[in-house]
Amino acid sequence: MVGSWSFDPPFDKNPETGEELDKIPFEEYCRKVFDPSKTFDKPEALKGWRHISSTMYILSPHLGATLGEYGAEVIKIEMPKLGDPMRHTSPFNEAYLWPETDHRPLVGTGFGFLHANVNKYFVTLDYHAEEAKPLYYDLIRVSDSMAECYRPGTFYRWGIGYPQLKEVNPRLIYIWLGGFGNYGPRRYGGSYDILGQACGGLAAITGWHEDFGGHPVKHTNWIIDWYAGLTGLIGVLAAAHYRRKTGEGTFIDLSQISCSTRATGYSFPLYGRFGVVRQRWGNWDTLLAVHGIIMTGKTDDLEHPNPQISVESRYVMVSAFQDEDFRELCYLIGRPDLWEKYKTLKERVKPEAQTEIYRALEEWAADKTRSEVVEAINNAGLIAVPVMSAKDIYESEHFWERGTIRWVDDPMYGEVLTQNWHVKLSETPPRTKWVWRPIGSDNIRIYHELLGYPMSKLKELWEKGVI
Amino acid sequence: MGEENGKTIEIEINDVSDTLLPRPWPITKPRTKEELYAPWVKDPRDPEGTYGAFIEENVSWEKATGKPWALDGLIVLDCTIWGYAGAICGSYLAELGATVIKVEPLDGDPQRYLYPFGREEYAFEDIYTGEKVSPTFIHEHRNKYSITLNLETEKGRELFKRLAAQADIVLENYPPGTFDEWGIGYRQLSKINPRIIYVWFGQLGQWGSMKDRTSKYGQWMLDPVGISCSEFVHSTGYPADLLPREHGGNPTRSGEAVGDLVAGVHGTIAVLAALYYRENVSNRGQFIEATAAECYMDICDFNVAWYGFDGSIKARTGGWDPNLNQYAWNPCKDGYLMIGGQTDRLWYRILQVIAQEDPEGARLIAEDPFLKEMAARNALEGLIKTYTITAQWLAHNTRAEGERKMVSREVAAAPVLFIDEIAEYEHFIYRRHVTEVYDEHYGRVLVSNSPLAHQHRTPARIKWVGRPLGLDNGEIFARYLGIGPMELKKLSLEGVVRWYHE
Repeated sequence: MVGSWSFDPPFDKNPETGEELDKIPFEEYCRKVFDPSKTFDKPEALKGWRHISSTMYILSPHLGATLGEYGAEVIKIEMPKLGDPMRHTSPFNEAYLWPETDHRPLVGTGFGFLHANVNKYFVTLDYHAEEAKPLYYDLIRVSDSMAECYRPGTFYRWGIGYPQLKEVNPRLIYIWLGGFGNYGPRRYGGSYDILGQACGGLAAITGWHEDFGGHPVKHTNWIIDWYAGLTGLIGVLAAAHYRRKTGEGTFIDLSQISCSTRATGYSFPLYGRFGVVRQRWGNWDTLLAVHGIIMTGKTDDLEHPNPQISVESRYVMVSAFQDEDFRELCYLIGRPDLWEKYKTLKERVKPEAQTEIYRALEEWAADKTRSEVVEAINNAGLIAVPVMSAKDIYESEHFWERGTIRWVDDPMYGEVLTQNWHVKLSETPPRTKWVWRPIGSDNIRIYHELLGYPMSKLKELWEKGVI
Repeated sequence: MGEENGKTIEIEINDVSDTLLPRPWPITKPRTKEELYAPWVKDPRDPEGTYGAFIEENVSWEKATGKPWALDGLIVLDCTIWGYAGAICGSYLAELGATVIKVEPLDGDPQRYLYPFGREEYAFEDIYTGEKVSPTFIHEHRNKYSITLNLETEKGRELFKRLAAQADIVLENYPPGTFDEWGIGYRQLSKINPRIIYVWFGQLGQWGSMKDRTSKYGQWMLDPVGISCSEFVHSTGYPADLLPREHGGNPTRSGEAVGDLVAGVHGTIAVLAALYYRENVSNRGQFIEATAAECYMDICDFNVAWYGFDGSIKARTGGWDPNLNQYAWNPCKDGYLMIGGQTDRLWYRILQVIAQEDPEGARLIAEDPFLKEMAARNALEGLIKTYTITAQWLAHNTRAEGERKMVSREVAAAPVLFIDEIAEYEHFIYRRHVTEVYDEHYGRVLVSNSPLAHQHRTPARIKWVGRPLGLDNGEIFARYLGIGPMELKKLSLEGVVRWYHE
């Protein structure tokens, strides 16, 4: 019998073969219950949930995309014609997928839009228009949650703020995501991810110290957008748990800067009690040694035309902080004197010791390639991994067999490589169905097929430029 | 230097002992609500002030006390040690009201003893016992109960199974298969308690060709192993053309364990989604796996997709962003100022501000036909030209001046702030992004607040910070297992638990 993979845990038997899952080795068991090829045979955790995403950029759209991956129906509302500004965002203006809309066939949507907008339905609505309000109320009435990112009070002024919407749908979970929050002296400033990194604290502790000649480093990705959106989603899902008991919706005021501040580890307890201001410490670690990234002499492929491969792919993360590991590492690099000198973690982790140890490591690695260094350390039974580029990830078996990266056969744009099959759930895995759609491509599906507005009415709204 | 009670106080640090004195927070007294919302402060978006009043009344952190808890009644066993992913997941659940029990080995989670640069003088001491704990542990384990349980003993695993039978969620991060081998993995626990939601946290995975492993001496893989394998480190940092390699022109890790952080947050979402499914549909739990490498790869923009698109590999760009113009921090007179504005409306406003002081420079970019279109400005030449002019303007402005000038034109701008400046920033104090917890055991502790602290119904709150080892043995063992002090004493002699005062 070919059964469903969605059956009652415990996973006693393989539904297809009847094999006892209890007896097999643990790794085999994991491969079976997390098998990425079975993803679409399993149910979705949030089926039936509807989310309205009145959003732009990454922070608030990502919340909706993740809901969509877990099975919610996510409706993204964009301004007619212009759409989300993120559609015009692409690395060095290079990577686009066509078309962006039906009326501008020569404009594409940039890769900046990717991942924050998977599985969504795209409709357009001009909130400024008086006709937009009843339409928006109708959407809210049939929805579980909504997210918006406009400056505080803007939605209220348009008649669709939380005080008004909670009358329309008292079960609504309304989340506002932005920089400084809805109240407080600086509430009216705009914000971006990079602003959160800058003034939330992550920038202050990332990069080389100025004594080493360094500057604060921006996390390459929009971390405070992506991760703050996920934090907001924790709030939304927790509120849904509460709503199940009480029937009450809520309002969540999420400041992305606060998410950056939350990510600073021991910085604030240390400052608050001792007045010590944590600084940057480059590629090493303030709590453990050896536990950092070193440069090796050369890359594995010196002839490759892309300097990212031939020059830059030469870094290795080395971790040997426990005493035995550190001793082994010192003998491996031919510096037993370092072990004699720094026998305890407390000794090793001091700044002067770290400077000496990492310098010795880099001297040892200076005539070796990246893979030689990784191999030498791993063969000694210690831990080292290469600093991987996109090419290394693409070529690694590990991430393919786990389904972390995967070609999505997008109904509109063809094959797109995606990297967002993140968390593994045995019963209800998240999944990507399509990467995005053109602006307003689901107007009819949502306004006509879901809400039941007659086509004549939609035509009228379209002519007025409301949708 | 700062002011306290109107009196200026000098804080001069000459050696370590000076830092060990207790200090006031905040040093600068923030303005009161009456001063901030004075009648003459009109906000164009909210002229009547009704929206602001509604938010202050219903959403501000000050109104949080006494509100209900979203996850009230959930029982979580947090068995994670070393890594931060499980710690953060447990903290988020506990801040939202779940009962989170941190199950530690008899010596405690090693995080308790990891001091910045090994400086034990920066330990927090338990007021009652003098037991020392690191600032990391204090910060990452909010609202959790601490019990000790030796899972390496048969008896300890027996007790753990009895706890798990009553729990909703189990978090662990031991090397792959450890719990399964001990007979307390998902396979075994789901037989005792089919409703259990079981999460494993790691760096690379518990299965697959590159899965998590230990060194031959048993050392675990910890952050930043995951982010090194996620493309993040490769493309973060200054390029070697901007800074020499030995001075930071390298691929750069994050200052904090962001791989663990993101895995923790993604794991929390998975837990809550599984909980939703369990409560509404299946009445069953499931097995979840969250790894730093994969969770971070998910949020690493389009980097891998871009490689799939045309074989591009993202290069490092330091404080700039290759996707948006303007969107960067650049050096100014006294540090760095971040300015952002991508759409035409904002981009030209930035130029208007610059033109006040540097009209020739502003004209150079304003009149460049190549820079007129929003997407075209992202080409590398566009970025170099724009930021060269902007940085010239910044060289004559301090962070505060630049910020004031940009914000007055509604452009998003903010300085790169150091930790002390964040702790003293009026807005963050007003909203308690940084807050002081009066802990029963450690006294006044400054911590970063939960970002979910501002909610209408069920805000997240910090009740206490990381607890002394095994403080709640008595309470938890009695409440869930009916084990009183006499039997607990016996167990501690057998090496199964450790008594708090020992």
